Amino acid sequence: MSYREKIAWLSLIAMAVAYGPYFMFVGRGPGPWEPLPHLHPLGLFALVSIVRMLVLGAGYLYLRLGSPRQERQPLDERDRAIEHRSLSAAYYVLIGGMILVGCFMPFSSTGWTIVNAAIFWIVAAEVIHYSVVVASYRVQASS
Amino acid sequence: MNGEMSQAELGQRIGLTRQTIAAIEAGKYSPSLEAAFRIAQVFNVPLGEVFQWEVKATPLKAS
Repeated sequence: MSYREKIAWLSLIAMAVAYGPYFMFVGRGPGPWEPLPHLHPLGLFALVSIVRMLVLGAGYLYLRLGSPRQERQPLDERDRAIEHRSLSAAYYVLIGGMILVGCFMPFSSTGWTIVNAAIFWIVAAEVIHYSVVVASYRVQASS
Repeated sequence: MNGEMSQAELGQRIGLTRQTIAAIEAGKYSPSLEAAFRIAQVFNVPLGEVFQWEVKATPLKAS
């Protein structure tokens, strides 16, 4: 497995660890959520972001120490092609989600529901990005 | 590609990663023209000796 594929896996794991529980929690319904401009839900999101950064930081450190230097080469043409393909796919997910959140949700939802929907589509776009990266490296792996 | 050169060494000489060379060898990635010419240059052989392209016959549709 290439270094870049490991990084993509790490990013997917970090998102699953951080945003999985977050969306399970906020997806249960309004519950204790307060309408804007109260910022209590923002604290939960900040906590989740810190968890993600910690997982990413620890993972990067582990991979960097565990991978030989020649594995950590700059992007070559195949890496750039994979990156381009994955970002294109993520862009369409993001733009579709943002149209939904910005143009349709204001007529049916309010407050943190809209904010969390926007966060969800950003995370979904990131998941698509890294999933396409992993899938592309897997498909092109020689063994 | 050549018994005397490792994938890593070839990759280093033409600016590609070892995994990309492996993918090219396995026929799972088609390199750019520039990379193809560089590979041929490293082995000092014509491009057609390193890479072949099979033409798949597709029936022409009458317009």
